Amino acid sequence: MSIQISSLTPGVLVETRAARVSTQPAPGRLSLRARKPALPALGAALGLTLPECIGQRAAGDGTEAICLGPDEWTILTSADLVAGLMAASAGVDQPHSLVDISGREVTLRIDGPRAAELLSLGCPRDIDGIAVGEGRRTVFDGATVVLWRDADNSFRMDIWNSFAPHLAQLLDIGARELAAESA
Amino acid sequence: MSQYRVPGRGRVDTSRPVNFTFDGRSYRGAQGDTVASALLANGVHLMGRSFKYHRPRGAIAAGSEEPNALIGTRRGPGRFEPNTRATVQEIWNGLETTSQNKFPSLKWDVGAVNDAAYMMFSAGFYYKTFMWPKSFWNKVYEPFIRAAAGLGVAPTEEDPDQYASRYLHCDLLIVGAGPAGLAAARAALAEGLKIVMVDENAEPGGTLLSEPQARIDGRPAWDWLAAEIAALKAAGVRIMTRTTAIGYYHQNMLGLCERVTDHLPSLPADTPRERMWRVRARQVVLAQGALEKPLVFHGNDRPGVMLAGAAQTYLNRYGVKVGNAPVVVTSHDSAWYAAFDLQAVGARVQAIVDTRPHVREDLVNEARALGIPVRLSHTVTATSGRLRISGVRVNPVSGATVGAGQQIGCDALLMSGGWTPSLHLFSHTQGKLAWDDDLSTFLPDWTREDCVIAGAGRGLWGIEAALKDGAERGREVAAALGKPGNPVALSVENDRPGSGVSMKELPTDRNPGRAKAFVDYQNDVTAKDLRLAVREGMRSIEHVKRYTTNGMATDQGKMSNINGLNIAADALGRPAPQVGLTTFRPPYTPTTFGAFAGYQRGAHFEVTRKTQIDPWAAANGAVFEPVGQWRRAWYFPKAGEDMEAAVRRECRETRASVGIFDASTLGKIEVVGPDAVTFMERMYTNPWAKLGVGRCRYGLLLGDDGYIRDDGVIGRMAQDRFHVTTTTGGAARVMNMMEDYLQTEWPDLDVWLTSTTEQWSTIALNGPNAAKLLAPFVEGVELTEDAFPHMSCVQCTVAGMPARLFRVSFTGEIGFEVNVPAPMGAALWEILWQAGQQYGIVAYGTETMHVLRAEKGYIIVGQDTDGTVTPFDAGMGWAVGKNKPDFVGKRGLARPDLAAKGRKQLVGLLTEDRSKLEEGAQIVFDPRQPVPMTMVGHVTSSYVSDAVGRPIALALVEGGHDRMGETVHIAMPDRVIAAKITGTVFVDPENSRLKI
Repeated sequence: MSIQISSLTPGVLVETRAARVSTQPAPGRLSLRARKPALPALGAALGLTLPECIGQRAAGDGTEAICLGPDEWTILTSADLVAGLMAASAGVDQPHSLVDISGREVTLRIDGPRAAELLSLGCPRDIDGIAVGEGRRTVFDGATVVLWRDADNSFRMDIWNSFAPHLAQLLDIGARELAAESA
Repeated sequence: MSQYRVPGRGRVDTSRPVNFTFDGRSYRGAQGDTVASALLANGVHLMGRSFKYHRPRGAIAAGSEEPNALIGTRRGPGRFEPNTRATVQEIWNGLETTSQNKFPSLKWDVGAVNDAAYMMFSAGFYYKTFMWPKSFWNKVYEPFIRAAAGLGVAPTEEDPDQYASRYLHCDLLIVGAGPAGLAAARAALAEGLKIVMVDENAEPGGTLLSEPQARIDGRPAWDWLAAEIAALKAAGVRIMTRTTAIGYYHQNMLGLCERVTDHLPSLPADTPRERMWRVRARQVVLAQGALEKPLVFHGNDRPGVMLAGAAQTYLNRYGVKVGNAPVVVTSHDSAWYAAFDLQAVGARVQAIVDTRPHVREDLVNEARALGIPVRLSHTVTATSGRLRISGVRVNPVSGATVGAGQQIGCDALLMSGGWTPSLHLFSHTQGKLAWDDDLSTFLPDWTREDCVIAGAGRGLWGIEAALKDGAERGREVAAALGKPGNPVALSVENDRPGSGVSMKELPTDRNPGRAKAFVDYQNDVTAKDLRLAVREGMRSIEHVKRYTTNGMATDQGKMSNINGLNIAADALGRPAPQVGLTTFRPPYTPTTFGAFAGYQRGAHFEVTRKTQIDPWAAANGAVFEPVGQWRRAWYFPKAGEDMEAAVRRECRETRASVGIFDASTLGKIEVVGPDAVTFMERMYTNPWAKLGVGRCRYGLLLGDDGYIRDDGVIGRMAQDRFHVTTTTGGAARVMNMMEDYLQTEWPDLDVWLTSTTEQWSTIALNGPNAAKLLAPFVEGVELTEDAFPHMSCVQCTVAGMPARLFRVSFTGEIGFEVNVPAPMGAALWEILWQAGQQYGIVAYGTETMHVLRAEKGYIIVGQDTDGTVTPFDAGMGWAVGKNKPDFVGKRGLARPDLAAKGRKQLVGLLTEDRSKLEEGAQIVFDPRQPVPMTMVGHVTSSYVSDAVGRPIALALVEGGHDRMGETVHIAMPDRVIAAKITGTVFVDPENSRLKI
């Protein structure tokens, strides 16, 4: 299987009775790095309160943030708001780094009754340890990904573009394997 | 129904017959049979030939510990597996099985001459015999031994099956679903606790499956079992059967191998054959039970000789009587019940031979009541029969005296030397064992893992004892998990507790030195071999093991270890605990490579990273090469072109007009923060402070040893923002190195790194027409020499896409690198490709890129450098900021060795005969010097150069910079090539072609 996966062509990659995997359209995506004292000002500029516990998420008006490390956040927004957020944060005079990574990753939506089990094919982390409404940076099938748990059986997986075909291949195999199991 | 199938016994379904073949002959078994039980039901005991002596062998056990009955199984093309244990493989209609280690047939085997020459093949035989002459080892001895020895035949066809793997996290993992495991699960049950129980058998129950006579809580054992399994499942316990815990790794990580389809008559779609589970459990209960030990006596391997417990399992679980006239020989009470059970179904037990002078009165009385002759204080000294046992020779023992032998006719000999706790997984945890004198065996003592042992695994015997202990251990782990645990009070009737003594080889009235008394059936190791090893000076059990190969077969010494130890300890005259036990290693049972590989095979073998432009390259006939995890377009051959012709054309057309190249794999790091420039000054050799915004510079990165690690062009996008590029292969390494310095050395710097390798698709345009092609698409900057000189960078739009445009050249031609958000790369490529047609644009791959850069003397880190090359060695001292106070590698460069004369330096080479050198070829100054010659360097890069009109090469040569114009010699297998040392720049040394 040599599938090209691009956020420019969202759509369902595989759907079985166990799980569905689909490519999501590209959001605006920013990587924020800063120390703690800068957070209130940056949060104000970005329009949300930045969560300080790794794995926690917060949402603002049209934006969403996840804390991935002690000084690292990913901010999701709509593509046309990226320039505005970059400009707003440039006005914050506390040291920080904001980098547009909208083109870096492709997001797969993984949902369906056995979505969590599907993730256990490639993720050594205990999926049950990720609460609904949280997320984690982890690995899947050997590649670094960010997992967002949106519901018990609905996840988003952010994958660097070049790894996506390989990871999608395992998700495809797994969705069929799990479906055969529950047949 | 065959005469050995016992109606009304066993759990197999005789109303559902199953046909399979063994060595081409068709047999009928019942649903639920293993190959072994089905063959035994047909009266077939002979199932294989042994490894070394090719002795006829039958199944000796009924489970995964079986050392003898190894067969090949086949299910159509590619689906052949050697060394499958017949005692584990379940039968299905159409299963093909074959015996192993025989020629021409199982019943008449040529290799059995080894058996006649038994006295020759003593311990260390190979070491002693095949020593001289030494040169014979590779060509004569080893091939011969390999052909003659070995177990089964390796499959030759590709395995068409899928293999799978999953991770599983649980609070409690119970290994073994026998009485101890079941009771542990029941006792630990609690709301919110995730409990998983695994068992290698086709159904849970363990020893209960072989002991239907027991009554638990007033119910027949099997009724209780069915209800208990249902109740545990209903309570949320996950019970996994046909799943073997193969290894216990650090921090309660266990590997489980699940056999998914081997028992199915047809293969379901999308279903793997096996699945490896990687389980992380907070607590583990090992309830693996105990394995029965054989007794060691002459002829203890004849087909029909079997463990008494196995005979009971065949009878009670599979409904198969292993013989009509069996003899039992034992040193443990448990085997007496095998005799009683067999007698009860119509077999006439010829005798119970017990090595002990005194045996529990109730057992002796029951034997007498059943009319079974009993011989206490007796030994077995021989068996007879060719392909099946026909008789056994028993002798009375009085003190040290063995009396006269007496022959007893039989068709099966059931033996028991007692039971060894199964401590393999416990041993994997590096747990400590303690010797138990009463049981003459090792018991688990202490382990660093969160793990407890329950039941027979710690020497407890009988169903009630196992249930009780399982319940206690279950409550123990529940407490460790913060749960109260449940009381479990179970009463057992018709239990069969017992005890026994542990024996070394049985006493004999004959010469023990000639006895074929097997300790390790699979490796054909006898008691004589072990004693010989000790006589020849082996003192450590580890040496005895390796010298004799005792316990080194695929069964990991499950049956042989304790017997081997007892015999070796006796020979050494030391107590067993002082002699010690060898270490068990994973996997517990032989495991397929497929299970270990899981999904990582075929097209999914490893990550293949592809750029956004990769599909275009594939559609346009690119030949690819792997670069790290990436696959990159190597060259684009046209019809009829070989690689050299294609690369020559790509080079020529690029230098003549314009070439387009996918450079997306280049590593990219965004360095942002008020201290960005300070950080860059410290990381790279070059000065950055004065680099203006909108300018870029070639950067060189050293390790702290002063050697070149990476390089790339770096642009200053803003006062506090750098766009760093790295080599394709070095991207992650450089990022890690920078993070490392930032976090450990300079945590005070306000600067952050973000990997942007995959944010951008990078398209390189090179050639005299590059600017002309690109200019119409660019908004925000004019592509003129004044407005956008060489080594500039800018944010602009290209074809309406937001872009970072760099004017850089890795070819010596006018060059641009256009970065656009990655998903847009394919579209931009197509636009430039179409617009380039008017200029005769050529798409080129990595090979042409390499040639073009070599013609200009630009190095490739990792090809022209090897981790021992300094910037000065590479002729790039100009890249080192001499006035900088510090940078990574500055102190390394100051080491005397790195500044010394005579270092290997990068130079160009032109061969006198205009031949192309081989990369990696060694260089000498004087080809007439005696061998071994003094090597003074090697060729690092070598290409046919269309622009130069002859092949060119780069090389590292001792003191090369001071040897311009000198001739060196490259020794090849067929000739010596002379070459002249030149500078590294072969094309346009004045850089006049860079100008627009």
